Amino acid sequence: MRLFADLVASGIAIGAIYGLIAMGFAVIYKATGLANFAQGEMSMIVAYVAWTISTTLTGNVFVVVAGSIVFAVLLGLAVERFIMRPMLGEPIFSTVLVTIGVAVVLRSLITLVWDAYPHALNLGVGRDVVKMASVSLRGAQIASILTLLAVMGAFYLFFRFSKIGVAMRAVAADDRTALLMGVSAARIHAIAWGCSSAIAGIAGVLFALVYDLSPAMFQLGLKSFPASILGGLDSVIGSGFGGILIGVAENLAGGYVGSGLKDVAGFLMIIVILMVQPFGLFGEREIVRV
Amino acid sequence: MTTPSHPHAGDAERAPDAPPPMIEFRNLQVVYDDAIEAVRDVSLQAEKGALVALLGSNGAGKSTMLKAMSGILYAEEGKIDNGSIHLEGADISAFAPDEIVRRGVVHVPEGRRVFPALTVEENLQVGGFTTSASVLRERRDHAFELFPRLAERRDQIAGYMSGGEQQMLAIARGLMSGPRLLALDEPSLGLAPMIIDRIYEVILDLKKKLDLTVLLVEQNAARALEIADYGYILENGRIVLDGPADKLAKNEDVQEFYLGAGQSGAHKSMRDVKHYKRRKRWLS
Repeated sequence: MRLFADLVASGIAIGAIYGLIAMGFAVIYKATGLANFAQGEMSMIVAYVAWTISTTLTGNVFVVVAGSIVFAVLLGLAVERFIMRPMLGEPIFSTVLVTIGVAVVLRSLITLVWDAYPHALNLGVGRDVVKMASVSLRGAQIASILTLLAVMGAFYLFFRFSKIGVAMRAVAADDRTALLMGVSAARIHAIAWGCSSAIAGIAGVLFALVYDLSPAMFQLGLKSFPASILGGLDSVIGSGFGGILIGVAENLAGGYVGSGLKDVAGFLMIIVILMVQPFGLFGEREIVRV
Repeated sequence: MTTPSHPHAGDAERAPDAPPPMIEFRNLQVVYDDAIEAVRDVSLQAEKGALVALLGSNGAGKSTMLKAMSGILYAEEGKIDNGSIHLEGADISAFAPDEIVRRGVVHVPEGRRVFPALTVEENLQVGGFTTSASVLRERRDHAFELFPRLAERRDQIAGYMSGGEQQMLAIARGLMSGPRLLALDEPSLGLAPMIIDRIYEVILDLKKKLDLTVLLVEQNAARALEIADYGYILENGRIVLDGPADKLAKNEDVQEFYLGAGQSGAHKSMRDVKHYKRRKRWLS
């Protein structure tokens, strides 16, 4: 029982990070209709920038976090403006391949600019173990869970009540008609990329706080993509939940069955769930009125 | 490039100091994919406050003209190859869609295209994307006054409403940005005759109340000419006939080809199709 509780708790914690990145996938998909396969790489590069700030400028946690969020937003905007916008109107397949290209470039930038060794992102916080009832988690793990909940809440309010959020849903549903209503698609796309990159960056920094930095961190994206599919690629909030489910599932599989199953558990789960629920758990099905 | 004057309702009839027309298409030529010519040398204008019908069969280029006006041709690999579009004299042919909406031109697309997963109220909110929150609230209340049915259903998912209700919503949504020119692309498409009557009533009513200029694109020529002031008939990307609506409705050729009645007033049978083809030359 003790093992089970620990596995679930740390599963939720890593799942929260998957969930954050998965929400990044969903935000871009919702606004632009694309899957951005550079999501994990964007997390990684922001985490490295956070590490650079902490080792060269200041270790103050607020400065590091604020600095890396600013960098993340700029990175997202730059990718949208200089790489994705010129691709507007090209076939989806080529555009998605371009995001894979961006992913490879960002991945190699890590070894080019930094190095291939693991580093600890030490901000003096998040490493201490907090005991609650029978489970113990690191501070940064708890912070990940709280961040996920906060970001999910913020997105819920954003899509429900803000003008830009509602317009984003309109663009997702029918971008051409949204254009006719005076919604600027370019602006909506830029906002989506900025938001998505920012939450991916936050996830990267949180991950680095718990598990250290390494050039293999981009695999976070590979694990988060199934989370997004599971929750429904067009459902931002659902993707957050999807992340937690994947995190818990892979921890339980790794703990009880064998560590070999840990990495594939999430994928096994989406195969089963998509057979039953082809739109994902929370995905919007197309409204067809007969 | 010199622009030849419009052959029909052109400058000759206009007083020299008259205000420029609300919307004017000058020798417009639209090409898709750099290869297919959809609209060829079309000139058309609508005076302020007029209801102008643009008629023609499927594929004649009517919708393409509206898309050119609202700046969304690029989304379908189309572009204005020649000619220009002027809003009250100002050239808007190169403007981005949101800029055109800000200038008071709204295009309600064919097939209604309400945002299906959004509620009625959210649909209206997107329609007012270019306006401030306080104006938006005012216009929304106004729209609910005009369309009480929408007020009843304000929190309903738009995709589940009936075709007539969706068309009302599409029109109400188009009004949210406070347009001066409303372009309606086949508002009667796929609706029952009674609902069409209601939609047309609403269009006339709106035109009076809001002092709108209306550009009405229709295949349903008989209905459109009943409420229009002026009409243009488009065929294979060219204007083949135009004139005041009542005259057009009485024109023999129009009656034969668009209003479904032969010269004798009786409906033609399919046996005469060949005869139609031979006579399909317009001399106006």
